Amino acid sequence: MRKNGVNMIKISAKNVDVFYGKKQALFNINLDIEENQVTALIGPSGCGKSTFLRCLNRMNDVIDICKVQGEIVINDFNINDKGCDVVRLREKIGMVFQKPNPFPKTLYENISYGPTIHGMAQSKQEMDEIVETSLKKAALWEEVKDRLHEPGTGLSGGQQQRLCIARAISVQPEVILMDEPCSALDPIATAQIEELIDELKKEHTIIIVTHSMAQAARVSQRTGFFHLGELIEHGSTDKIFKNPDNIKTQDYITGRFG
Amino acid sequence: MSEAPHTVKSYEEELKNLNSNIIKMGGFCEEALGKAVQAITMRNSDHAESVIKDDEKIDKFETLIEQQVVNLIALRQPMAIDLRETVTALKISSDLERIGDLAKNISKRTLLLNENLPKNLVDALVRVSSDVQKQLKSILDAYLDRSSSVAMNVWESDEKTDDLTNLCMQEVIKYLKENEKNLDDGTHLLFVTKNIERIGDHTTNVAEQVYYLVTGKYLEGDRPKGTEPIVTGEK
Ligand SMILES: Nc1ncnc2c1ncn2[C@@H]1O[C@H](COP(=O)(O)OP(=O)(O)O)[C@@H](O)[C@H]1O
Ligand SMILES: [Mg+2]
Repeated sequence: MRKNGVNMIKISAKNVDVFYGKKQALFNINLDIEENQVTALIGPSGCGKSTFLRCLNRMNDVIDICKVQGEIVINDFNINDKGCDVVRLREKIGMVFQKPNPFPKTLYENISYGPTIHGMAQSKQEMDEIVETSLKKAALWEEVKDRLHEPGTGLSGGQQQRLCIARAISVQPEVILMDEPCSALDPIATAQIEELIDELKKEHTIIIVTHSMAQAARVSQRTGFFHLGELIEHGSTDKIFKNPDNIKTQDYITGRFG
Repeated sequence: MSEAPHTVKSYEEELKNLNSNIIKMGGFCEEALGKAVQAITMRNSDHAESVIKDDEKIDKFETLIEQQVVNLIALRQPMAIDLRETVTALKISSDLERIGDLAKNISKRTLLLNENLPKNLVDALVRVSSDVQKQLKSILDAYLDRSSSVAMNVWESDEKTDDLTNLCMQEVIKYLKENEKNLDDGTHLLFVTKNIERIGDHTTNVAEQVYYLVTGKYLEGDRPKGTEPIVTGEK
């Protein structure tokens, strides 16, 4: 892996273009994502943040008209290569969505689903352990340990989102992608997720799309600003929020967008 | 401020208002310093008294600006240029408040002076104070024009102020040595000279803030220093 200053580069996007049919959604994106750091992607709606996030675990494959060009290098391997095992890839690169989307099953089954299909547990006891650690890491264990066999949909919004995070980390991904994970949550639940993100970055590399500038400033160490499908500027979060180089970045984060 | 206005107009207004309060406060400080200098060099008590009385206005601006800054941070969460605008306003206002205090202190001492001062001493005072007045005017213009190069010039010229201060100190010491009855006046004049130099230092602080405001970078390195000021008469 290459290094960038002090941190290793976990993911490297090189000359990435994305098209939906004839419409180009991303233009020549070049971005290095540092390992064990939180990278925030910000920008106005429709600028291509989610599209970029989906490039990182080939989720765009499921959209028929979507075509991705360029390289996404993860652990020195271009995931856009033909030889890429997409199932393995999605095990390594987990994802959490805007709306908490637990399966209509029990809490336990929500977590055990991934480890089961990836054959990660040899016994019931091992699976119990995975479920417990995942819930603990997602800071949900204490709240739900007595109701593991109740439906996940019975939890509050914030708990459901932490359940989805527990589900994502149950397969020990190296990278966690989060697409506006707090936009449906109240401030307390949001703070809990933000605290969790801070913890998770010790073991995972995190990329979060957020509409809240304050959230990007609070949770991330690196920030990238997208505008009309281009990556306008990226760098350390404190530089972007104190003294961005690009006037478009400044206009966006200061609320001057025309 | 950057070209495009904020989408939220009331936010735009609040920042403009903060900005114009700094300009106004700076204007009052320039006036106070000008009058304090005239009061001492031309022995004009009316000027001295008006500086003492008007210092309250400057203090009130500091309080007002502080409240505006706290409100902006709490309610608007300013970012980038707006953040620098807000934070530097707080720091600049506190330097300006000190400048007001020092001008007031000069004026109080002026009212206590008895004798006519020797021409050489008055000339030295005029030289250092007009230098400091010029710096203060330049830095307030630089704030208004968002000029980092003028801010840099002001910052660098602090060295010259220190040298002029020393020359003035030497004149005061000469005056003190001349006659025992000069002791009271001479002591006041030492403080007056020192206060003028301090006003120069605060002006340099403002220059650092203006530079940061405009560029987002800190002026690097040690503050330029002239010869060390002589207080005892010995180097
Ligand atoms: N499934 C899709 N089909 C067609 N166009 C899409 C699709 N998803 C996104 N787009 C278009 O791609 C652009 C970027 O969208 P998106 O990545 O969702 O932006 P963001 O997440 O920044 O709001 C938009 O113009 C959007 O309309
Ligand atoms: Mg999106």
